[in-house]
Amino acid sequence: MTERTAHVNWTGSLLEGRGTIDRVGSGAFGPLDVTWASRAEEPEGLTSPEELIAAAHASCFSMALSSGLAKAGTPAERLETTATVTFVPGTGITKIALGVRGEVPELDEAAFREYAEAAKAGCPVSKALAGVPEITLDAALA
Amino acid sequence: MPRIVREAEIDWEGTTARGSGVVRAVSTGAFELPSTIASRVDLVEGKTSPEELLAAAHATCFVTSLGSELARVGTPPERMSVHCTITMDEVEGDGHRIVGSAISATAVVPDADDASFAQALADAHAGCPFSALIGASATVTVEGSLEGGSA
Repeated sequence: MTERTAHVNWTGSLLEGRGTIDRVGSGAFGPLDVTWASRAEEPEGLTSPEELIAAAHASCFSMALSSGLAKAGTPAERLETTATVTFVPGTGITKIALGVRGEVPELDEAAFREYAEAAKAGCPVSKALAGVPEITLDAALA
Repeated sequence: MPRIVREAEIDWEGTTARGSGVVRAVSTGAFELPSTIASRVDLVEGKTSPEELLAAAHATCFVTSLGSELARVGTPPERMSVHCTITMDEVEGDGHRIVGSAISATAVVPDADDASFAQALADAHAGCPFSALIGASATVTVEGSLEGGSA
């Protein structure tokens, strides 16, 4: 069992106040400032829950794909993954678009796409976000 | 309401077991973080993981939801503090799953009492899009208390 923690402070109202992702268990990041405006309008250099979810999904997918390729005997040299999360205030997350470009010697593109689809279906973050109405994948060899 | 798009990317070099990645906030440049599989399974100082990023996302989503509920009922908060713990576990026949997210909140809210704060926590949980999303497949728990007692 694995536990990961994060701690956020907020001062003032939603629209005029501001928050800080103060610390996380690993110490890898923080403090990161957040505001409602940075979430719902132009980000102006501040992060948001949706950007963090994009980062979580991109990294989870990359690990799952890299693991699947290695198990099949065709390990990747390099994977470059992008996750784009679409958020509609009042509705929630409506779409996540995953894109991956891989450098995988000895593998053709059709097989790479299959492994990428399997990683998209099987990675723990994909399963946790299964309620998102649309999750797309664009996979190709670099 | 507008559509809001946020983007992040990770470059991964090598295999899962021995390789490592760097995850970046493309939309904002707000972070650029090293990540490895070792740091996902065992806590490694200074290296993040998908679950830690989800914990940060849920804590941030929940705090904005709580603030908006408290303001909606006429008791705006002065300060709120939210802690989130995401748990991943191996589920028989289904590999690794995110099985839980535990939210713990404390707040300074001048005009709220324990009962109204408890109601705001429940409404914030119901209104937070991330609680709903992850709650479909994991157990989300919410607890909290007013700092310095109730009004």
